Amino acid sequence: MDLKKWLSSPEEGHFCNIVYSFCNRYVTTLTDFCIKQDSKIYEAMKKSISILFLLFFLITINSNAQDPKVAEKLLTIDEKVNGINERLANDEADLSKLTKIKISGYTQAQYQYFESPALLSTSQNYFSLRRVMVKLTYEAADGIKFVLQPDFTPGDFAIKDAYVVLNDHWTKSFSFTLGKFNRPDYEVEYSSSQRELPERSAIISAIYPGEHAIGAKLEYNPVNFPIHAQLAVFNGVDGLTVNNSAGTNLNAADNIDYDNYKDIMARVTYNLSLGNFGGLDFGAHGYFGTIKSNAVKTLSTDYTTVTDIKFGDPLKRNWLDGEFQLFADVLGGLSIKGEYIAGKNATVGYAPVAAVGTTAAVPGVANFQNNFAGYYLYFIKNLGKKYQFAIRYDYYDPNTDIKGQDVAVKGFTSNDATTLKSKMSGKSDLATATIGLAFHHYFDKNIRITLGYDIVNSEKVGTAGKVIEPYTDAHGVAGTMDWSNAINQNVFTLRIQAKF
Amino acid sequence: MKSFKLLKVTILAVLLGMVCFAFTAAPERITVKGSDTMVILAQRWAEVYMKSNPSASVQVTGGGSGVGISALINGATDIANASRKMKATEKEKLKARFNTLGVEVACAKDGITVYLNPANKVKELTIKQLGEIFRGTISNWKQVGGDDQAIKLYGRENSSGTYVFFQENVVKGDYASSCQTLPGTAAVVNAVKKDAYGIGYGGAAFAEGIVICKVKKDDKSPAFIPTAETIKSNEYPITRYLYMYLVNRPTGEIKKYIDWILSPEGQKLVVEVGYFPVK
Repeated sequence: MDLKKWLSSPEEGHFCNIVYSFCNRYVTTLTDFCIKQDSKIYEAMKKSISILFLLFFLITINSNAQDPKVAEKLLTIDEKVNGINERLANDEADLSKLTKIKISGYTQAQYQYFESPALLSTSQNYFSLRRVMVKLTYEAADGIKFVLQPDFTPGDFAIKDAYVVLNDHWTKSFSFTLGKFNRPDYEVEYSSSQRELPERSAIISAIYPGEHAIGAKLEYNPVNFPIHAQLAVFNGVDGLTVNNSAGTNLNAADNIDYDNYKDIMARVTYNLSLGNFGGLDFGAHGYFGTIKSNAVKTLSTDYTTVTDIKFGDPLKRNWLDGEFQLFADVLGGLSIKGEYIAGKNATVGYAPVAAVGTTAAVPGVANFQNNFAGYYLYFIKNLGKKYQFAIRYDYYDPNTDIKGQDVAVKGFTSNDATTLKSKMSGKSDLATATIGLAFHHYFDKNIRITLGYDIVNSEKVGTAGKVIEPYTDAHGVAGTMDWSNAINQNVFTLRIQAKF
Repeated sequence: MKSFKLLKVTILAVLLGMVCFAFTAAPERITVKGSDTMVILAQRWAEVYMKSNPSASVQVTGGGSGVGISALINGATDIANASRKMKATEKEKLKARFNTLGVEVACAKDGITVYLNPANKVKELTIKQLGEIFRGTISNWKQVGGDDQAIKLYGRENSSGTYVFFQENVVKGDYASSCQTLPGTAAVVNAVKKDAYGIGYGGAAFAEGIVICKVKKDDKSPAFIPTAETIKSNEYPITRYLYMYLVNRPTGEIKKYIDWILSPEGQKLVVEVGYFPVK
């Protein structure tokens, strides 16, 4: 058959037009759908569809001899196309719902070597999964977002984030968050997947245990002004331990407040542009919290004064913070970041328990209010596109009123040991300074390889033998650490992070 | 402990090796990714530049402004083309990854063009009417002086800088749910070309086979189409800059390329493609 002649004949030409119009309609329907989904799918589908229609066309030519049946076949195909159209419309509606869900996350696998055998009784070196985070975000509608972020770390499963965010539609400047989320602090909010040192600094880990807390937050973040203000209210007891006389943690329920008191956090930051040089972000935050006393006495930070307090009265936990982050384009990116925090924290004691029958009396433990201070300073330098170097000096003094030489010297002696225990200053009052070094290789956009080394120096106790800590190493060998000497607490970390 | 000292020395050696690697000469190929609005312009720049600089290699791909900026943050491109400014959230990500705020280079001006089908009676609209049309408040052409026909909306995906700019400056709210999103300005033009009652928006360089809608600031203002004069004089009300973003201040081949784009030769191509020069 002469195809060229056949195609150009009026009768067959008319037939071809009909076939073409069907093909075109089918292709348009499919391609429009595919274009919307993904251009790669579109390319692949275009090729497949072209081949399909070539086959269809050849079959049609072959069957052209049976002209009376053509109209019937076309009717059938028309119905099929209509059916496909309907199905595609439904599929498209379903797929558009899926685009509202975003899944991201990261896994950090690591090997750690602890230089001192005294630090861990199980192993001096081991492989572990530090974090296995998956973040699910669902944008239900413009301005409404649900976030759920579980951490699947083996043996330590936890819901890190679970919150709803409502953005205001009118000024586009305010948002309201309710649920469990990061406390408003620079190092807390800075994701572990981005942080330049393997772990957060000691001061942040001490005052914001677990980083996340349950509460509500109002944020002001105007579009055209570089200020960011956050005001949050929390239960305020997330990650804290409140032991009673039997050693039971009264604050073990993660999802219920331990007391009626609520803690308030307020943070304001400003982004100052430094032109071609870079930018300076600076700000401050304050934490104004209280926790319910479970004891009838409170001991001062210097171990000298015991005051009366009613069971259930508030114990103050207040501190202030100043922060800055300087970013500069000097032979590649460079930043210097710092934060200083000082204030008063509290540890809850317990009331004495009277003897009942044969059960002996248990003396109470006074609440303890410690003045603390700490800071950190990062220097981070990018080396080309693939490498980054970071050093951090991090200092935390949990009790600014007790120096190393006073530890195990200053203490409180109870006048009545049957109702209140004495308390001597100890290891928990020693300051710690850590120099953290890290080198990152960005293998690709998903993988980061980190070598980290922490050099940890604790404040020494003044008198030898005053604070002795026994330990058993990984081989079962017993030993002691005398905190009047330098204790090696250095840690080497090799970490690989996969982020998606 | 001896073995651990050896480990330390090995680590130090590896670190030094990696540092040395970091400073080895970068390949001469320049990668450019981002705005679909700018893709024709960027390809034209690359073609002409490579002709006059045979040793240079410039690879251009589209994907949308958001995609380009993401690639910049991930270190997957040297230059991100964007038809909108970088968002604060994107700057934060750039800070976290590269410790810089990025470098913004305005390389051309564009008048966002509103496309109409030649069969449509409506030839001009105010900014307010356009906003109402794309929000879905006005849904029939007769409400703006046209036929009694439903308005068909065609727009870009939310990764597009044009989508964001048009939303912030014209729509001033959420796009109507009936707005059909398409993966590129060419697709929008094509859709309006086929649909007598369609309306779409995009870059000026793509406006072929359709009618360019005249736009008025308000009821009392005169209507303008985007031309070199009306954009330069800011008479055309939907004008924007087109940007290139880099992680650091450009050096070497990239600096040479950007300097050339901003030179009279590079800016001449801006006009040829259908956009407007920055100077």
